[in-house]
Amino acid sequence: MANKGAPVVTPWEVKGEIDYDRLMERFGTEPITPELLERIRRHTGRLHHMLRRGVFYSHRDLDAILDHYEGGGRFVLYTGRGPSGPVHLGHLVPWTFTRHLQETFGSKLLFQFTDDERMLIRDDIDEETANHWVHENALDLMALGFDPDKTEFIVNMRHVAKLYPLALRIARGITCSTMRAVFGFGDDSNLGMMFFPTMQAAPCFLESERAGEPVPCLVPAGIDQDTYWRITRDVARKLGYPKPAQVQGRVLPGLTGGVKMSSSQPLTAIYTTDVPELVERKIEEADTGDHPARCPMHQYRYLLLTEDDDEAHEHYVDCLEGGIDCRECKARLAETVNRFLGKHRRRRRLIRGGVDKMLE
Amino acid sequence: MTDQERQEMVVTPWEVSGDIDYNKLIEQFGVQHMTQSIADRIARHAGYMHMQLRRGVYISHRDVDWWLDEYEKGNRVGLYTGRGPSGHVHLGHMLPWFFCKYLQDAFDADLYFQMTDDEKFLHREDLTLEEAIRLTYDNSLDVIACGFDPEKTHIISDSDHIQHIYKLGLKVAKRITFSTVKAVFGLTNSNNIGSIWHPALQAMVCFLQSDREGKNTPCLIPAAIDQDPYWRITRDVAEKLGYYKPAQIHAKFLPGLAEGGKMSASQPETAIFTTDPPKVAAKKVMSAFTGGRDTVEEQRRLGGRPEVCNVYAYYYFLFEDDDEALRARESACKSGSILCGECKKQLAERVKAFLVDFQAKREKAKDVLEEFLIKPVE
Repeated sequence: MANKGAPVVTPWEVKGEIDYDRLMERFGTEPITPELLERIRRHTGRLHHMLRRGVFYSHRDLDAILDHYEGGGRFVLYTGRGPSGPVHLGHLVPWTFTRHLQETFGSKLLFQFTDDERMLIRDDIDEETANHWVHENALDLMALGFDPDKTEFIVNMRHVAKLYPLALRIARGITCSTMRAVFGFGDDSNLGMMFFPTMQAAPCFLESERAGEPVPCLVPAGIDQDTYWRITRDVARKLGYPKPAQVQGRVLPGLTGGVKMSSSQPLTAIYTTDVPELVERKIEEADTGDHPARCPMHQYRYLLLTEDDDEAHEHYVDCLEGGIDCRECKARLAETVNRFLGKHRRRRRLIRGGVDKMLE
Repeated sequence: MTDQERQEMVVTPWEVSGDIDYNKLIEQFGVQHMTQSIADRIARHAGYMHMQLRRGVYISHRDVDWWLDEYEKGNRVGLYTGRGPSGHVHLGHMLPWFFCKYLQDAFDADLYFQMTDDEKFLHREDLTLEEAIRLTYDNSLDVIACGFDPEKTHIISDSDHIQHIYKLGLKVAKRITFSTVKAVFGLTNSNNIGSIWHPALQAMVCFLQSDREGKNTPCLIPAAIDQDPYWRITRDVAEKLGYYKPAQIHAKFLPGLAEGGKMSASQPETAIFTTDPPKVAAKKVMSAFTGGRDTVEEQRRLGGRPEVCNVYAYYYFLFEDDDEALRARESACKSGSILCGECKKQLAERVKAFLVDFQAKREKAKDVLEEFLIKPVE
């Protein structure tokens, strides 16, 4: 897959020191330029803090999406998740940004749960468990304030009929050699894994297919998912659909200094369901950096939690100038996180019934 | 025909050509020869011996004896067959369907009938998915017209009914590797990823009844022998998933109207389609390849050769149920007392009568199509 020593970034793992500029170069995506930001600002009023701070920093065809929108057309948002466990703060970064896009552009969101992929690559997740996480994760998503009338869940195992005809069309346009080259599949890969990428690609074209006219699709996601969109873009042309556009973001670092919060290493992540005492303990035990730019505490505020620029800057300066020690900083962060999660959990409780219906 | 003239035999799910040597296939595929005692056992439950059993249409099998054992122990048994709906149905396609109907009645068995419209779409660049699905429903009329029980027959369009089969398909897919599919089907890296995936869906139907009913049910697949590679990989997966290995009973290919090979939908003049106007079908019969001699004089003197005659094969496989009458026709041919023209004319009459009747049933099938399609598990 990747060269030895190079950061490993595939849809399955994010490891090593991430150089985001290099990733952009390697994947051949475009930077979000000041001009593009200015264009977005015209629609959003003030720029979202994730754009101001370059959390979302790279794209493909975002300008084409704006052209289409400014010409009076609509576009659809698409993102998703493998329902294998609880949602942590890292997941909320692209979702928060996606909600902002929905609100600003009035776009429909297609949200895919890839329970089929989970089953194909893992042995420890049965259907009941996957369904449990689908429900829990959907609550986390909707608690961020998505418009239920403009949000459609696609749980692959349940709703396969929506996608299969498109998946077949996509599959006919992709050879096994391409799959091997792009995903690193080999002779020992199972048939399901070979086919699955078409199921993840299909929602990119679903609205166009339903509308009978081009409805471009914008995918906000971590840059680690890029592989899927590259092959999807190649197929789009053959099938006569608009190529899916992407905005790509940074990933929230793990608490123990790893590059990504990871569900498979519980202590590195803060889950939306963690009780306040646990949040405090996890943060207390977290690694800090020698410089705020390399410190997870700072990253949590800067990437996700602290919308106010002055406040974020204040923390940064305080840290640099030694006005605040790590203990104190951590205590304040724990407070911020618990306030955030408290609200989040209240919203989760309120919307429970509605989400059940949306998942049917 | 000399050895040099014999064409090399090719038998895969996508291609059947050359001179078929069934003994070689049986050896190559590692299956068992059909036996008289199996035929007798089936006939005992059915109340009569089906023409196809008497005439050796079924040349080989895997575990049919076990399937019969299970039934005789009082367990329920199931049937599975299918079709890739790529065009009109011809008589060759229906040979195993007629037999399925006989087995369904005899063993009170549910039949799962898979229409692999996704596979056809994936293997043919010129076919749209809409057309493939349309053909599924068109061909389903032929299935229904064979007289299956709507309560016990479940037609599955892979593309249209994926919600009924995807989950189990994934379980099967997870346990088959790319290298297995490459080795078994001769697929390569240049094949598309859909054609790699599809064998999982064809395999999963073997377990579908067991999965839907929550009880392991032995499954028997009556199909032409070219489909065997699917069942080999399915049998390997069965144990891992805790299902019974599917049993098979393999049919010979019905010869086409032209010399050699199986009846082929891609060569319309060699096949009688269920949708052929009876007159057109009769004409095809009249221009069929026979085992006749070059001149009338020669034929009167030397007699015909039913062993290489396609018209005789039609009587043998489909249109002459009466063993006495068949023997009489054979000796009349060999002695030169009946000429090809007359023999073909008689067959044409039977084909016409069959088609008139079948097409009426096919028409009625349109009203009940819905009843035959797979439903969600209650």
